[in-house]
Amino acid sequence: MIQIKDVTKKYPKARKYALENVSLDINTGEAFGILGPNGAGKTTLMSIITTLVLPTAGSVTVDGEKLSRQRIDIKKKISFVTQHISIRKDMTVAEVMELSGRLYGLPGKMIKKRSMQLLEFTGIADKAKSTARGLSGGQQRKLMIARALLSDPEILVLDEPTVGLDPHARRKIWDMLIGLKLKGLTLLLTTHYIEEAESVCDRVAFISGGRVSDIDTPANMISDMGSFAIDVFEGERTKSYFFKSAEEAEGFIKTSGKPVKVRDSTLEDVFLKKMGTELG
Amino acid sequence: MNEQLTAAGIPAEEITTESKSTFSRWLDGIRTAIWEKWVDFRHEWKKITASALVSPLLYMVALGWGLGSMVNTGGRPYIDFLVPGIIALATMNTAFSSVSVSLNVQRLFERSFDQIIISPVPMASYIFGQMIGGALRGMYAGVLIFLISLLFGTSIHVNVLFFVVMFLNGLVFASLGVLASVIASSHLDISRFSTFVITPMTFLCNTMFPVDRMPAAVAVIINCLPLTHTSRMLRAIAYTESINVLSIIYLIVLAAVFIALTNVIISRKSNL
Ligand SMILES: Nc1ncnc2c1ncn2[C@@H]1O[C@H](COP(=O)(O)OP(=O)(O)OP(=O)(O)O)[C@@H](O)[C@H]1O
Ligand SMILES: [Mg+2]
Repeated sequence: MIQIKDVTKKYPKARKYALENVSLDINTGEAFGILGPNGAGKTTLMSIITTLVLPTAGSVTVDGEKLSRQRIDIKKKISFVTQHISIRKDMTVAEVMELSGRLYGLPGKMIKKRSMQLLEFTGIADKAKSTARGLSGGQQRKLMIARALLSDPEILVLDEPTVGLDPHARRKIWDMLIGLKLKGLTLLLTTHYIEEAESVCDRVAFISGGRVSDIDTPANMISDMGSFAIDVFEGERTKSYFFKSAEEAEGFIKTSGKPVKVRDSTLEDVFLKKMGTELG
Repeated sequence: MNEQLTAAGIPAEEITTESKSTFSRWLDGIRTAIWEKWVDFRHEWKKITASALVSPLLYMVALGWGLGSMVNTGGRPYIDFLVPGIIALATMNTAFSSVSVSLNVQRLFERSFDQIIISPVPMASYIFGQMIGGALRGMYAGVLIFLISLLFGTSIHVNVLFFVVMFLNGLVFASLGVLASVIASSHLDISRFSTFVITPMTFLCNTMFPVDRMPAAVAVIINCLPLTHTSRMLRAIAYTESINVLSIIYLIVLAAVFIALTNVIISRKSNL
């Protein structure tokens, strides 16, 4: 279990806190999503969990052990796919993989074999000998995902792993994440594709302005808001109304008298609604 | 554990790194950094070789042939005086820039250094490996200069100690390079560091002309600079004279101080 306790982060020279008293428990084997608008503090939180950034206050423990940059025994269980591309561009794809394998102390033979398999899986095996600079943005991201899996991590932290990927590749990555989760990996991820978070994550947390506001399963969040959604086109824009029961929804349609569209609520609705109220 | 990837369609392998000792993690870190420098070298050896040669060759031509006839070097040919100084210079420059520039790019531009920070190798070991890699690159440049100097008709003497001193000099300046790159907050900072620290040493440290006629106050400063000790030692060996062991110790201590300082800075920095 990953326990994030009262984590606060203020970047040097920044006026505002990037994170304020964030506490979260992420269970082993759980897929946990962190959702929030730009600048909410998602990347900061993930960077703290991977020791890339140190918190100003608070702590992170993994299975009861306090995490720090020195705890290599904990660090070796964790892999991080950063939001920015973090690869040495002048190395070949195979060398990028080998560098990571060496850092995680894997034997040479295994690095070669697994690298090939993972590159195969992510669909960039034919690029193994070209430099990372010669890959497209999406291919570089696939390389980062392949690299993160090389060390067979127990905890996989992914910061917008599918941004810039084509729909096919994106689906494949999310299927892979589901597969990894089913076999017991702990996943921690952010994404702006809320429907993907809904399908993969056991629980999600909303974060905004450095604070965590809600933590729950997508299903609970949706039913708390109302699982019946009605879109009404009012003047300039579409407005959505949410209802907990079919009766309430029907009652609304009768009284509204405008053309409406009835559908199931989604996590994205919850997200938009929460962020909408927070933005005022 | 090994079924996870299989489930996702990725063949899995039993990975047993559970029981790695701290010592072997240290070795991993050192070896990885040296391997990385070797990969850099393999990719770029032509450019590396060419750029390691340009300024030393210019110095040798301009000073050795041009100015050399006018410098009094105690009855020995000026070129024999110059070459050890140029070798010291070349190891310094190459070791410093091979580490500082590439680490700086990795840290600030490509941000691939992130992967080093989160990886399970002790940071100090990786840094140490970088320093050794940089020192070896410095030695490469030094040896090249030595070979070329033979064409200029030098008759300097070299032995194992000569290479040890080159390596130590490389170690000092590679560690200074790492230090510079972790302090730097932009690319320009590295070239500024170079301008303020490396360039003065190029000219002051007993490299191209004797410094025994400098004013006393200046001489004290010059004697604190590591390159002064290196060129003095290399020259002593080249002249088959004996070297001052204190100079060797001084270089080792300096390298150790830079390594320690780098480590303190890295572990304190809450976001690199
Ligand atoms: N290195 C830094 N120095 C100073 N401030 C920073 C730094 N990194 C992030 N911040 C600030 O911290 C806050 C949170 O940033 P963070 O990158 O964690 O947001 P995010 O939720 O990941 O956003 P996005 O969805 O755009 O990726 C922002 O206000 C940002 O300006
Ligand atoms: Mg982010």
